[in-house]
Amino acid sequence: MKIQFVKYFSGRKYSSVMIIFLLMFSFQLSIASTPVPAKKQERPIVLIGGTIHTVSGAVIEKGMILFDKGKIIAVGVSFELPENVERIDVTGKQIYPGLINAASNIGLNEIESVRSTVDISETGRINSNVRAEVAVNPESELFPTTRANGVTVSHVMPGGSLIAGKTAAMMMDGWTFEEMTLKAPVGLYVHWPNLRVNRSPYSRQTEEEQKKGIESSMKELRSAFDDARAYLKAKKADGEKHQTDLRWEAFAPLFERKMALIAGADEVSQIESAVQFAKEQNVDLIIHGGRDSWKVAGLLKENNVGVIVEPVHDLPNRRWEDYDNPFTVPLKLYAAGVLFAISGGGNSTMSERNIGFQAATASSYGLPKEEALRSITLYAAKLLGIDSVVGSLDVGKDATLIVTTGDPLEIMSNVEMEFIQGRKIDLRSRHTELWKKYQEKYKQLGILK
Amino acid sequence: MKKLFVLLLICIFLTMLSAQSTVPPEGIRKNTPAVHALKNLTIIPSPGKKIQKGTIIIRDGIIQSVGANIPIPADAREWDCTGLTAYAGMIDLASDYGQAKSKPQGGQAEPTRGSNYWNPNVKAEYSVADNFLPEKEGAEKLRAAGFTTVLSVPQNGVMKGSSALVDLGDDLPNTQLLRSNVFQHANLAYQNFGDGYPDSHMGTIALIRQTMIDAQWYANAQKIYAKNPNQPHPDDNRTLAALENIVAGKQRLVIETNDELKALRADNIAKEFSLQWILRGSGYEYRRIDAIRALNVPVIVPVNFPDAPTVESPEDAFNTGYEELRNWDFASENPSRLKKAGVTFALTANQLKDPSKFRTMVKSAIDCGLSSDDALASVTAIPAQIAGMEKLLGMIEAGKIANIVLADGELFAEKTKIRETWIEGNRYEVKTAPSADVRGVWSYSVKRSDMKTDTGSLDISGEIDGLTVTVLKGMQKIKASSASVAQKQFSLTFDGDTLGMKGVVRLSGVANGEVIAGLFDLPDGQSGNWNASRVKLFVEKPDTVKPSVPLCSTNELLFPDGAFGRAALPKQQDVLVKNATIWTGGPQGNLDESDLLVSKGKIMKIGKALSAPAGVLVIDAAGKHVTAGLIDAHSHTAISEGVNESGQAISAEVRIGDVINADDINIYRQLAGGVTTINQLHGSANAIGGQNQVSKLRWGMLPEQMKFEGAMPGIKFALGENPKQANWGDKYTTRYPQTRMGVEQIIRDEFTAAREYDKAMAAAKTNPNLIPPRRDLELETVAEILNRKRLIHSHCYRQDEIMMLMKVSDDFGFQIGTLQHILEGYKVADEMAKRGVGASAFSDWWAYKYEVIDAIPYAGKLMHDAGVLVSYNSDSNEMARRLNTEAAKAVRYGGLSEIEALKFVTINPAKQLRIDNRVGSLEIGKDADFVIWSGNPLSTYTICEQTWIDGKKFFDRSEDTLMRDDIAKKKAELVQKALKSKKKGSGSPPVVRRSSNYSCHEENHAKTFENEVGQ
Repeated sequence: MKIQFVKYFSGRKYSSVMIIFLLMFSFQLSIASTPVPAKKQERPIVLIGGTIHTVSGAVIEKGMILFDKGKIIAVGVSFELPENVERIDVTGKQIYPGLINAASNIGLNEIESVRSTVDISETGRINSNVRAEVAVNPESELFPTTRANGVTVSHVMPGGSLIAGKTAAMMMDGWTFEEMTLKAPVGLYVHWPNLRVNRSPYSRQTEEEQKKGIESSMKELRSAFDDARAYLKAKKADGEKHQTDLRWEAFAPLFERKMALIAGADEVSQIESAVQFAKEQNVDLIIHGGRDSWKVAGLLKENNVGVIVEPVHDLPNRRWEDYDNPFTVPLKLYAAGVLFAISGGGNSTMSERNIGFQAATASSYGLPKEEALRSITLYAAKLLGIDSVVGSLDVGKDATLIVTTGDPLEIMSNVEMEFIQGRKIDLRSRHTELWKKYQEKYKQLGILK
Repeated sequence: MKKLFVLLLICIFLTMLSAQSTVPPEGIRKNTPAVHALKNLTIIPSPGKKIQKGTIIIRDGIIQSVGANIPIPADAREWDCTGLTAYAGMIDLASDYGQAKSKPQGGQAEPTRGSNYWNPNVKAEYSVADNFLPEKEGAEKLRAAGFTTVLSVPQNGVMKGSSALVDLGDDLPNTQLLRSNVFQHANLAYQNFGDGYPDSHMGTIALIRQTMIDAQWYANAQKIYAKNPNQPHPDDNRTLAALENIVAGKQRLVIETNDELKALRADNIAKEFSLQWILRGSGYEYRRIDAIRALNVPVIVPVNFPDAPTVESPEDAFNTGYEELRNWDFASENPSRLKKAGVTFALTANQLKDPSKFRTMVKSAIDCGLSSDDALASVTAIPAQIAGMEKLLGMIEAGKIANIVLADGELFAEKTKIRETWIEGNRYEVKTAPSADVRGVWSYSVKRSDMKTDTGSLDISGEIDGLTVTVLKGMQKIKASSASVAQKQFSLTFDGDTLGMKGVVRLSGVANGEVIAGLFDLPDGQSGNWNASRVKLFVEKPDTVKPSVPLCSTNELLFPDGAFGRAALPKQQDVLVKNATIWTGGPQGNLDESDLLVSKGKIMKIGKALSAPAGVLVIDAAGKHVTAGLIDAHSHTAISEGVNESGQAISAEVRIGDVINADDINIYRQLAGGVTTINQLHGSANAIGGQNQVSKLRWGMLPEQMKFEGAMPGIKFALGENPKQANWGDKYTTRYPQTRMGVEQIIRDEFTAAREYDKAMAAAKTNPNLIPPRRDLELETVAEILNRKRLIHSHCYRQDEIMMLMKVSDDFGFQIGTLQHILEGYKVADEMAKRGVGASAFSDWWAYKYEVIDAIPYAGKLMHDAGVLVSYNSDSNEMARRLNTEAAKAVRYGGLSEIEALKFVTINPAKQLRIDNRVGSLEIGKDADFVIWSGNPLSTYTICEQTWIDGKKFFDRSEDTLMRDDIAKKKAELVQKALKSKKKGSGSPPVVRRSSNYSCHEENHAKTFENEVGQ
């Protein structure tokens, strides 16, 4: 449409007319510059003609996907449509489940270097009671920029020094944090104590000091779990008698296996320790980080422990390691049959929108393409216990999906449409709006047409 | 006859010398005759020579004569030294003996008193001779290790001062000080643990360079002023005066290093100022032995061979560096490799926790190929010669100072003990050997008080002063619980239970030749006499225990040594790459199924179906893509020890080119991502930072060989939050500037000063009677910007600061090469385009600090559309490996064409760095820097398969696979070797080789905000 106008007015004497027209056009755009949370799906929608990547099953060429009241009703090549259905022609486009970032701090972190905008880490060693979702700022400018790249759900995790707090799976659109919460709690996050003595000459502590530190951290962790159990037992036996302790109260869903223990662990000894600990405590375990997890993939498989790999875009930790070692961790876990997700932005919230490209790197170094895609959709959903509602395009799941010009793992493709629980998501952001604003400047100057 | 005459002369000369004390006597005069005859010695007068049953005559501290059959002067005191071997006393040229214990270095402490240099780390005026005090305990330890003389070296600062050669006797400083002001000392390994300048390695080098310039100027200024005093007198400066002989090449400068690359940097400085110098090495010289040989300077090297790394647990082994293992394996070969290379070197005990380990360490060097003679020379004759004292020290020879070590065996043999040292004719006992050797088999007879006699035998073995005794009685063998001999007193205790005596049996007696006689006590109170006579002499068993692992390395040295180094550097090849999709980056655009012919490091032909000249390597690249090597216009890779000199707000004098770290593994990793050229930039701590270096990633080559020949010089500037210290922490609130207003003013002020400086320098050349202005490297560098000989690469974010710098450039008439990061450049792209200012940007970074709140990923496309030359950079060792897909983001965000997008990381940065005549595109005549990709280079699914620079293959994924296997295999071997190896016992970890992986994990305070400062 725009191109036609440009052609039509390409003669010199029409240029001012054209500029005026374009000015009006962009003025209209800039009126509604802030993306507004989408309203509830009001009538059935069907996307017609696109290639549907269900992720769970086969790829459907020229398919149809029908959803209503936020849920997927039907997926296939042809089926009967309700009367009031909104038809959207997506011929030539690709349809995928919305991407899921299994490790995020979006909403807790606005501008890294400005302390007042960061709510990631609570003080103290035992923060089992803090909940990530309550501090997620729906107005964060990072939601629009991140979801514009197809990320629809993020698993927001608090940081901290030992027991960090409870995590939550958040949808990337909504008026309040409650509307945005898909599942909470998902897990109790523990930064697993470092268990290895650092013998580098850089180390500030002696071997003895380090060993003591290791011991006391593990003791601290263990006694927190023991105290929590003792507390819950006492409370159960005689709730009236005992005053409330929020920290120990928070452990209840963990012991009931309604949430997982998420261990931030990169090193072999940390992972081994976490696996053993989870077994003893009879709780579900997820490893986050997992830099060296491939070394103990057998152990993880055996104990049915999954890994949220973060980040793929990283340097090898040791000088002598293969240059592509961080790129191939997912491949090695896959080969061993370990459930894994690829996540995050390398601790940088602004890069969370690039998770697809991290998955692609894993694929370029050997992970099958479909597996790379699953690592940021279905596998992430499984790990987080939200695969009954998201992660694949199956009937009954949420209509949380994206329509793209191509493979979402490929940088050169783009997301054109996005639905979260059937709601049409506004894909504009601070970035698109500033882009338009300054295109306008250069149009005013006659530099851009 | 002639000899005798000389001897006579010496004697007369010495007699004259003997009474030259300047110190009045205390109490009664001490005039014990100082004439000694040490006889029955084995003498090693110098390495390789040996005198059996020799005698040394010492008179008044000087060796009078040495030989096998020389007359003993009538007035000489005679010493029977049977069983001992005499060596010249060992000399250590890198000691801190006799100086007050040093305070931690660095910091702008108290105001300096006296007319010294402005920077407290330049202390050339400091003289050890002025501060020397013998230390009794320290001297004793060193003597026990075999040292008689040390060079006491100043401990603090960058230019540390002058050293003194001192003897290790216990006496007044006046008697022990042999020579003052021996060398000046500079420390390239200087590290600043506080604030102040310099706080980076390149700052240290810049400070030395400016000091040398100042010293040259000072000497000249003094001369001119002396002739023509009717002008303002030049500043007096004790520090610069102390360096007069250094800059005149009349005195030698010892330059201290802690790795081999610093040795090469030291050489650069020395060459620049025509200095006479000596390298104080690190033990890492073996890594670049050819380059060290080429320095053609004497080297003082430590022998702190590291202990075997801890590899007992699999995880410890996994986390032990391959490089650490290799260095452990190679370390004790350093001396022999220096020797083989023909380098003159002296060994030092410096870096050892305890000098007593020194000879053991030298022994392991001998075990690894250094001859005993060369080892001896390296601790005697050579250090004497290096110190310019070869006429007086280093050998046992008539006329030399009587500094002698007496050992009970070969100096470097494992069991040998130093028995005495003679220092200037004074005898110092180290360890008194028992005067009786009671080892052997003795038959004893005991007479009890009840008149019963008892006989048996004693088998005495072990060390002469560490006896092992077995009592043999009938069929019984009883191990003695203690046995010792002191002087001639022998004593023995053993458990009497097996002999039916409940308790401990004790014997003592005097050993006299072949007989021991004395008293005994039995547990039951019986006592009496006993005696024994030797029936069998002790025969020392030869050391049959062979070490279970080879002592020396069986590995081949790599370049650089460690993972992914190569035994041989890649060779230049003529290559024909066939059937590829070629992204020329030039007017030809993309060519399908085409060929690229490369010869002698240059691109010869591009086209379809090229025929292969004879001998050319043909690579079938069907289905693959070929591009020019990627160029990263913002890199901090391969920079040693600090990318920021934050000790000053303006640091234009520091040069990244001084501190290229050719060993940085990130070079290799980036080659694996298709990068061939990088713009190594100073950090952004300062409004005016340091000079950049454009380099090619010629992995394995030397730092100087990495430099991009003829690249236009540049300099880093920085605007906004970093130079105003916004995110440095609450402590940093006083350095100017603290606002963007101040940033503008400090830049304008500096340009103004540089313009005035430039004028003054030009005007000064005329009158030889006037003191010329001092050359100032900082202002000179800034003047080069004004003279358009140097490009600015400025870190910046906000449009106001971008406009500010461009206005300053308008006013002063200089060229900005690139604006770096330039996240709001899209807001003023028209202004940038107008001035030909390049944009070297992040593709999609934002939100990490307040000044990037308006950064957008569409900026690259928008600036490009507005006519700005745009490149995408990494500013990160990690992201540099994926520059190709960073470029793809210009396609994603804004829809730039793929061909133009790739130019963001190839020809565009080449143009920005003014190297586009050589690199950046595949065009005939350009450098053969190219990459073979598995597919479309902009696709996230594509990987880099081969990377070529100058027609040499520096990365090949299939070769990489082989190297991985090799590393795994060799590492396993070394771990096994480490497990089997006993500790060599230097007790010291190796000198730390610092990496240049500037990430947020870096520990140094100046680097904690590196990530920040980098961005």
